[in-house]
Amino acid sequence: MRWRQIETTGLSGAENMALDQTLLDEAERTGQAFWRLYRFEPSCISFGRNEPARERYDPDAIAQLGCDVVRRPTGGRAVWHEHEVTYAVAAPVQAFGSLRDSYRAIHERLAAALQALGADAKLAPDRPPPPAAARHQSHACFAAPAGGEVLVQGRKVIGSAQVRQGKALLQHGSILLAGSQDVIRAVSRQPSAASGEMTLTAALGRRITFEEVAEAIAATWDDTLPSTALDRPRPPLTDRPPSIARFTDPAWTWRR
Amino acid sequence: MSKTPPDLRYTEEHEYVKETDDKSVVQVGITDYAQGELGDVVYVDLPKVGATFARMDAFGTIEAVKAVSELFSPLAGTVTEVNTALESDPALVNRDPYGEGWMIRLRIKSPKELDDLLGSEEYTKHIGE
Repeated sequence: MRWRQIETTGLSGAENMALDQTLLDEAERTGQAFWRLYRFEPSCISFGRNEPARERYDPDAIAQLGCDVVRRPTGGRAVWHEHEVTYAVAAPVQAFGSLRDSYRAIHERLAAALQALGADAKLAPDRPPPPAAARHQSHACFAAPAGGEVLVQGRKVIGSAQVRQGKALLQHGSILLAGSQDVIRAVSRQPSAASGEMTLTAALGRRITFEEVAEAIAATWDDTLPSTALDRPRPPLTDRPPSIARFTDPAWTWRR
Repeated sequence: MSKTPPDLRYTEEHEYVKETDDKSVVQVGITDYAQGELGDVVYVDLPKVGATFARMDAFGTIEAVKAVSELFSPLAGTVTEVNTALESDPALVNRDPYGEGWMIRLRIKSPKELDDLLGSEEYTKHIGE
């Protein structure tokens, strides 16, 4: 598998989701594999594709805080994207196999990068999910680790979600540098339990930058895939510009 | 070991087709193997009655463990019924994939397409069990 690394900065939530969707479309259409690292500018709340957002979150509270908001094409729960490195992997399904295998394979690479930075990153064990009642105590993505997710000191440091379209998959997620997910609780209609997230700054006891993490991932991605190479310099992503209309449309953002 | 009832037909993408009393209508869902691989199903997005699909068109999506996957129509046809019970209890797909966890009933366009689906032995081999 030959990977193409895409570098992008300065994109909004809708632009980032549109670009990730475009990478997924490209992976499905061409069989190519992509990964990219990015951040949300401005900071943004993202809902999971099927989250009942109208029931869970207060649009007025979001407006009062002046937060950007978007609904992802992937599953999972709400995330506050502020101090983080966001990653996206779009690839043919055959590159990673089953859902469980793909979570684990991608997270192993990311955990290796965090280990290189000095964090004691481990994958959460596969285990039966907690009872439904417990799962719904918090709507935040970082509240509960699923099997194969990356933990530091037993708490989730990377929150990921995936969508499979035809023969391709998109997995993207947030690697927390600092801050908290308190914004999700602040805009929730019902009080929810504290999120159990961990940040790299807290884990390492020092301020850690986007660039440090990005470099560690780039180095580790190469190391763990010795038979592949990144294209440098990077060619244009695609002839077709990403369409952001879907992700700026309130009918999509607040569809449930 | 996943259940693969011998009287059903299957796709490589893990949907099953079950005959109903009406010969021109089949019941469609995902297999026991698929629900086990997906894990705890939290949402199933299904089409409206009357929607038509070509063979292997995506007819909906299913979300489990933060992953959204497409559902493919094993046969060309028109949706005659949708399992609305999945709206309030999507975990029916996990508990009873071939029974209460069914997804759509489809009036099929061409019964000959049934011959292209996998039998239970072929499907069992496909999933490596």
